[in-house]
This record gives sequence, structure tokens and C-alpha cells, in this order.
Amino acid sequence: MYRTAAKRVFLVTRRFHNNSNVRFQFPPPQAFIGSSRLSTSQSQPFCNEQPPLNQGPNFPDSSSSSSSSTSSSSTWSASSTAEDARHHETPRHRAQYQDEQARVLSASLPHVIKLGWTEAALIAGTREVDLSPSIIGSFPRKEAALVEFFMDDCLQRLIDRIDSDEGLKNMSPSDCLSKLIRIRLEMQAPFISKWPQALSIQAQPINVPTSFKQRAMLIDEICHAAGDNASDIDWYVKRTVLGGIYSTTEIYMLTDSTPEFRDTWAFLDARVKDAFDLKKTIQEAQYLAEAIGAGMGGSLDGFVRKVFNR
Amino acid sequence: MALRLVTRRLGNKLSPILASTSKLHSHATSFGFKEVNEEEKSRLVGDVFTSVAVNYDTMNDLMSAGLHRLWKDRLVSKLNPFPGMKHLDVAGGTGDVAFRILETINRLRQRGLRQVLEDTLEEETRIYVCDINPNMLNVGKQRALERGLGGEDRSLIWIEGDAENLSFENNSMDGYTIAFGIRNVTHIEKVLTEAHRVLKRGGRFLCLELSHVDIPIFKELYDLYSFSVIPAIGELVAGDRHSYQYLVESIRRFPPQEKFASMIVDAGFQNVEYENLVGGVVSIHSGLKI
Repeated sequence: MYRTAAKRVFLVTRRFHNNSNVRFQFPPPQAFIGSSRLSTSQSQPFCNEQPPLNQGPNFPDSSSSSSSSTSSSSTWSASSTAEDARHHETPRHRAQYQDEQARVLSASLPHVIKLGWTEAALIAGTREVDLSPSIIGSFPRKEAALVEFFMDDCLQRLIDRIDSDEGLKNMSPSDCLSKLIRIRLEMQAPFISKWPQALSIQAQPINVPTSFKQRAMLIDEICHAAGDNASDIDWYVKRTVLGGIYSTTEIYMLTDSTPEFRDTWAFLDARVKDAFDLKKTIQEAQYLAEAIGAGMGGSLDGFVRKVFNR
Repeated sequence: MALRLVTRRLGNKLSPILASTSKLHSHATSFGFKEVNEEEKSRLVGDVFTSVAVNYDTMNDLMSAGLHRLWKDRLVSKLNPFPGMKHLDVAGGTGDVAFRILETINRLRQRGLRQVLEDTLEEETRIYVCDINPNMLNVGKQRALERGLGGEDRSLIWIEGDAENLSFENNSMDGYTIAFGIRNVTHIEKVLTEAHRVLKRGGRFLCLELSHVDIPIFKELYDLYSFSVIPAIGELVAGDRHSYQYLVESIRRFPPQEKFASMIVDAGFQNVEYENLVGGVVSIHSGLKI
């Protein structure tokens, strides 16, 4: 899913990323145990579960990212006991569990508008898919799982849109950027009254790693779709700036009461334009500095020659 | 099969007691470190709990230095109870876990999770406490009255029953907990199968049990404590050394965490995981029925 530059960066940092991307591969980071008093999490090596090496992060497998790294328990998998019969069964079981989890979460989303990003919405969701609400207890970080599921779902829809919409490819980069951010933010428009709650859930320290990663992936996807293939330091600059634009627009949107968020989109266009102006300004400053440098160098050269000739 | 024949032959030669066991076609099982036949185990375990019922809570506090309260709190927080829940607490005679679940639900009620329930079914919370030993149940009922949980709301239901043969219908429970109980049953597999049977789809199985410590020095200290201190406390406080000797021995006989987890998987549960508390002195296993 990450492409070109992203892929390269990813390869370098794979060792660290894997930890949060792939369930079972390493014991969960010990730093997150804080929540459970008295617990000493055992580290069990569950190495049989390693995915093929050339694989990118498991997006959009929502449950793998939402269940990552924060559980303080040691998750047990049958394959670690190496019995042949269970080798086949366990992945299927896990897939089944993840399917059920995804079903519950997507059934819960319509209830969010009324009940907020809460357990109440999740309970209503489980009732709808005819499961016992008990299953919520097995979700890591409950409400956060719901928010993360929504983020993943939106990203997937955005990617589908990028792939299918030919018009986007003919746009200028700045138009394309603001269009994509707008498409993405419009997806959360129905939830706007409850969105501050979602943001506060994402900002909780225990949820920050996942929400940060999800945002990074979103920004990367937008950047890539807007035709950015850079892989130098510019890569970081672009994503930082774009991340800033996305987040400020998201927050601006919360208090925007104009019909169809007209002010928000005007704000967004202005920020994107600012960013491109800034880029131009920086480039101009660079050229100017080069010119001055060249000029200075020339005169210094002349001055030195003069001094030594005499 | 051949092995059993051999042992039977050996047993015949060695002692007449073992020979009579094999005549009964009863498999040998463990009662602490002793080998007894199956019928005898349930009787012996029954004796132990009849004997300790009165002092059960005092002894738990003394032996675990009060930690068992935190362990049970942790179990309930993992369970994540909700209003309208149908829960079965097996081997919970003294009601410790059941009270905690009920209190958590009442707290949620006050905090307004009610609105979701108004929309859906107006279901009553029901917590069934099932124990094979009537003496333990009596202790629990008594404590429920003291806490004021007995009378007006009929959320707590006390049932005398066998964990290996539950009297509940298939797919009738949202949650199943067994705290410090599964160690004492004769067939762990049967208990797990029954748990799987009574749970609804999406229902969870949680088991809190004294387990195995693997941390080197801590393990030695723990063994020393359990074999020298606990029987002594038992003798002093409850006047019953043998029951507490059985307790510490039965902990050693219980399958280790990994093994027990695989047994839970074999019973049909999914998403099986466990969490060790205090380095494995106790562990909480959980499974999900889908």
C-alpha cells in the first residue's frame, strides 16, 4: 500500500514497524502494560505467524491494526504448539473472529450518530448482528476499535475513489490535494456532532500509536494520488505540511455551521494555496541565496586576487 | 491401550487397592499429589470445601495477602459486564465474582448506559451462581443478604449444580466465569465443553485460576511459601491442614498456562488468550464462542 518512497522507508524501518503491524509476531511492547496492575506479561515467541517478507503493512485489514500492540496479555495461538491438525484451523478461526469483529463494528457505526463513539453504540451493533454483547469485552480498547475501524473504512473508500476516478489524474496537484482532502473529510460529515469525541479517543495516549499511523497512511495515500514520487527530505516536508493542513481543516470543520461546510472548503483551498506559495517562496529564497552566494564568491575571489597580486 | 494393560498387570501385582480400581473401570485421577479414582476425587473435593466453607474468605485474604480481591476485580473488568447480561458464574459459591459483576452493572446503569437498553430489549440482568457444594452456596447467600443484594432485585440466582453437567439450555448465556474452581473438577475437558454449550454466539469464557510460576527465584520463594506457610496457616486459622495441603498440591497438578489454553481451543473456543498476574501465581484465560 505504501509505494515508492514510502516502501523504501518502510523497508529500512521494518523491524520497528512490524511490531505494531502484525499481530502475534512479537510479544506486545512492554511499555503498554501500565494499565494492568500486578500483571507481568509473559513473552511468548509466536514466530510461526510471520507473513512473507516482501509484504507491505497489512492494511486494510482493520483488525490487525486495531488490535495491535496494546494488549497486555500474551495472546495464545495453537500453532505455537506445532500440532499439524491445528495449523490449518487456527488461521481460519482467527479470520472468522476478525470477520465477526468487523461485522459488529460496521453494524455499530449507524448507532454512533445517536449514541456517540461509546460502548452503548457497540452493544446496539452486536444486537443487530445477533451476537452476544459479551464479545465487546474481547475487543482491545473498545471505543478506540470503533474509531479505528471507521478510519480504516474511510481510507479504503478513499483509495477506491482514487483508483476509479479518472478526473483526479488530470487535475493540477494543488486542486487534486484539496479535492482529496475534501472527499475524505466529507466522509465524516455525518458524524460531525460526535467527531470531537472520536478525536479525544484518538488522542488518548494508549491509542496514539495507532491513530498516528492511520493518519500517516492517509496522508501518504493522498500525497501519492496527487502525483508525488519524491523520496528525499522533501518527502517528509510534504507529508508534514499536508498533515497539518488536513488536521487544521478537520478541526475547522467541527465548528463550521455553514450549509455543506462551505467555509471549511474555502479554508482548505486557502491553506493548500498557502502551502504551494510557501513552497514557491522557499524556492525563490533558495535561488536568491544561490545568486548572492555566487556574487559574493565572485567578489571575494576578485578581492583575494587583488590582495595577493599586489 | 497396551500401556494400560501393562500398568494394570503391574497394578495387580503391586497392590490390591489399585487392582480394585481397575475393576471399577474408573480412570485414576489426581487429588493433590495422590492418585485416586474419579468417584473418590469428587467426594474428597466435596469434603475439602465443606470443611473450609466457613473460613473460606478469611483464608483467601490471609493466603493471598488480600490480592485475590484485585485478581477478581481484574477478571470482572476483563469480562466487561453490561446491563441485561445473562451470566453464569460456576464454582462461585461465596458469590465474590457475582457480587462484583452485579455492582459493575449497577454502576453502569447509573451512568446512563440505559438509553441503549430502552431502544432494544428490556432484558433483566441475571447472574446465576452455580456451585456443586451447598455449604459454599449458603455462605454466598448469607453474604448477599448482608450486602443487601438478596431481596428486591432478583438478579442473583443460586443454583446447586455440577460444572460437568450444567442444567442450562444451549446458547443461553452471555458470559461464563469460573474462578479458582476448574482445578478441582474431575474432567476439565467436560467442563470446557459444557461452558461452550451454554454460551451464546459472541459469549465469553473467562477462567481465573492459580497457575504456574516460571520466574526462577520467585518460583522457589513461591514453592517455599505454598508448601510450608499455607498448610500452617490453614491449621492455625481453619484447623484443617489437609485441605490446604490439597490446595497447594492441586495447583501443581493443574495444567500449565499453554496446555490449558490449548484445552480451551480444543473445546471450540476462539481468540483464546491468557494473562498472567503476579508472575503466573494466577492467570486469567479467556475464550470466545462464535
